[in-house]
Amino acid sequence: MKLISMIFMAILTNNIVLTKFLGICPFMGVSKSSKSAVGMGLAVTFVIFAASVITYAIQYLVLVPFHIEYMQLISFILIIASFVQLVEMIVKKYSPALYKSLGVYLPLITTNCAVLYVAQDNIAKGYTFLETCVNSLAVPLGFMLVLFLFSCIRERLDYADTLPSWKGNPVGLVVAALMALAFSGLAGII
Amino acid sequence: MLAAVLLFVFLACVFGISFYFNSKTPVPEGCEKLSEDCKGCSMHGCPNRIKGEEENA
Repeated sequence: MKLISMIFMAILTNNIVLTKFLGICPFMGVSKSSKSAVGMGLAVTFVIFAASVITYAIQYLVLVPFHIEYMQLISFILIIASFVQLVEMIVKKYSPALYKSLGVYLPLITTNCAVLYVAQDNIAKGYTFLETCVNSLAVPLGFMLVLFLFSCIRERLDYADTLPSWKGNPVGLVVAALMALAFSGLAGII
Repeated sequence: MLAAVLLFVFLACVFGISFYFNSKTPVPEGCEKLSEDCKGCSMHGCPNRIKGEEENA
């Protein structure tokens, strides 16, 4: 039951983009088309899940036993960057079709603050390994959901009669604010 | 302190090695100019866009 509520909270009430305002760069940047939004969402989901599991293991197998918890930030950053390189290498070699659709987004995920946030949040909240896996899967799914919704709205906005000075990011930010308001209304339900 | 330094050096080496092997891994056919084709966003500071613009120039 706790895991189910954790999933719904991560996707809806504590959505990483609309309530915590993390991952705004890809949210605003890679939402011009729904196809690229889904691609970015899938890539982020995979990287966040795997990087969180690896960083969880590093934290409790290396950092805590050797009393070097202060190395958490730098070691997590290096792990995430290395993992993204590894993923890109594997995708290049074994799945050219996947690389063609997602490959351009993979290096951008390294600098996505949401990846580091999830890795550190799992440690800060003292989650067990199972809870870490569930949280690390649910948070990027929430990211992908919001990214997809936003991209669909922006695709429609391209055909709307918007003032020239408001076209693109300005009206996009207004839409994002309204979406954040809508999602904040879900707080307290779960 | 020594453990921290060793860990940092180890992780930096892991990143360096992964970066090196990634740069040496050949790009699949048809994906050579992905950055040029990328029209996912309008972020002019994006390294992929800069690479594509350099190639065009």
